Amino acid sequence: MGSELYFEDVKVGDAMPALSKGPVAKLQHVMYAGASGDFNPLHTDDDFARAVGMKDGVISHGMLIMGFVGQAITAWVPRKYLKKFGVRFAGMTKPGNTITITGKVTDKRQENGENLIFCEVVAQDENGDVKITGNFSAALPSKRG
Amino acid sequence: MADSTKVGKTYDPIVWEVERGKIREMAKAIGDPNPIYLDKEAAIREGYRDTPVPPTFLTVPMMWSSSMPVLINDLKINFMMVLHGEEEYEYYRDIYPGDTITGIPKVVSVEEKTSKAGKKMDMITVEILYRNQNNEDVARARTLLVERK
Repeated sequence: MGSELYFEDVKVGDAMPALSKGPVAKLQHVMYAGASGDFNPLHTDDDFARAVGMKDGVISHGMLIMGFVGQAITAWVPRKYLKKFGVRFAGMTKPGNTITITGKVTDKRQENGENLIFCEVVAQDENGDVKITGNFSAALPSKRG
Repeated sequence: MADSTKVGKTYDPIVWEVERGKIREMAKAIGDPNPIYLDKEAAIREGYRDTPVPPTFLTVPMMWSSSMPVLINDLKINFMMVLHGEEEYEYYRDIYPGDTITGIPKVVSVEEKTSKAGKKMDMITVEILYRNQNNEDVARARTLLVERK
């Protein structure tokens, strides 16, 4: 079992461990389409994507990039402690982009017997262009039991 | 303009049996190597009853059920002009293989907004509350659709 993440060990301003994903490949779009059931050809068919105005062809599913952010979060905060996770889709991701997810703790407090931490997250490509901004909260165990 | 008379309307339930293979497929598609999603024994060692679902898994029942196209048609939204603006999940209970979850989609708001560039758009918020086979709330998904005009 991994070392436990305790409420007392998390401080406001702490950075979440960063995660880099990619470069995103078109094959990953096909895998994600099959897994998620989102078969919008905008993500898998370059001819279709160009016909609807994407001059470079397909773009990534926004939910795939949210999935990357979810991976980054649950690599740090165990899945079972996650309470809420929300994102705003700020920009399109294209094949070849490398996505880096960073985050930091913005607040922590005890509420209704729970030890809550609040964090903000951002996903950016190799040029610093923002793809997703978001936030999450989690209820952590306490060393005081 | 999206049909604002549909605010408060609920749609046909999404019924989804959660399978271990689908959880693994989702984790593999994301490229998430966390063993809790891939290996039941590893998940049990980390304090789970079985392989839990990744945080964005609830997109699976929503997309495979085709409930979103039904809703978009009913709201008279132009499919070609709709963007996925925001997505949010609240987690109440773990979801595991063998669970059958049922989600009720509901239109919670339709608002017109004007962008900084002066363009009008409709902001449509849809919520899906999921319950399990024991009639316990397991999660709520909230989706913001943006219809450009």
